[in-house]
Amino acid sequence: MAPLPPRSGDAVFANIERVNAELFSLTYGAIVRQLLTDLEEVDEVNKQLDQMGYNIGVRLIDEFLAKSNVSRCADFKETADVIAKVGFKMFLGVTASVTNWDADGMSCSLILEDNPLVDFVELPDTCQGLYYCNILSGVIRGALEMVSMKTEVTWIRDMLHGDDAYELQVKLLKQVPEEYPYKDDD
Amino acid sequence: MIVCVAVVGHQNNPVFLQSFTDSDDALKLHHIVHCSLDVIDERVNNPKKSGPTLNDTFLGVLYPMDDCKVYGYLTNTNVKFIMVTTDTDLKDGDLRSFFKDLHSAYVDAVSNPFHIPGKKITSKSFAERVSSIVKSFGSGSTF
Repeated sequence: MAPLPPRSGDAVFANIERVNAELFSLTYGAIVRQLLTDLEEVDEVNKQLDQMGYNIGVRLIDEFLAKSNVSRCADFKETADVIAKVGFKMFLGVTASVTNWDADGMSCSLILEDNPLVDFVELPDTCQGLYYCNILSGVIRGALEMVSMKTEVTWIRDMLHGDDAYELQVKLLKQVPEEYPYKDDD
Repeated sequence: MIVCVAVVGHQNNPVFLQSFTDSDDALKLHHIVHCSLDVIDERVNNPKKSGPTLNDTFLGVLYPMDDCKVYGYLTNTNVKFIMVTTDTDLKDGDLRSFFKDLHSAYVDAVSNPFHIPGKKITSKSFAERVSSIVKSFGSGSTF
């Protein structure tokens, strides 16, 4: 059978199982609230959200590659486009835009105008340093690590802190070549 | 002219109180809101025989005072919205849609994971939405 052509984000999103957006937002909010109650330190919560995202990302990448049939990306630019258009659309139902490429093509910004995680959320004054959507940065980092790219993902803009959009900076640190766990037979 | 809007929780605890005139002091408004709570309880516990169906959320005029009227709205979770206004002639439809907008703003504010149910609503965006609902209500009935 000939390999299937890569499906666009909308096509994948149309065929995938969905969940109620309010349930999703409220569940995520409950997770963040509970983390704040358990850990009490905003920095700890940020780290924990990133770690949770990482664990999700390493598993999510397989589902993504299976359902979306994207072909191997030629360079990091294509990777970023695929994440923004297909990945985000498939899992969050929103598309991101890719901007701010730096000179050597190693870092870019993903901009999200609309973010279902933060519906109804307003940060109280005690948690101003909290990166509420930090799980997303972990997801991207984890997913890319599974396809041999070590990246660093940071938040540049955050609407809960008063900015006008969500901006994630994804920086490619290095491409790790595939390591085989066994030696070639001598 | 809407004088004030108040939201009272199901244990009759004040959740939100916003006044829209400079002159009236908060104490008098608190007093008015408290008295109207009694009227609401009375209406809820003694439904009139020819009264409305069970699902009626809008309670109408709670009691008229010399210069202003008090309107009430009760949600199914016993959260009460109270509105004090000096306007004399207000259409029922306008009031119902006012309270409906207020209700949806309240629902959004309460869905904030950082809001503690029963505590006061500290969300600035809720206060802004209430102000804009009040403003648009006022301008709608100036003719």
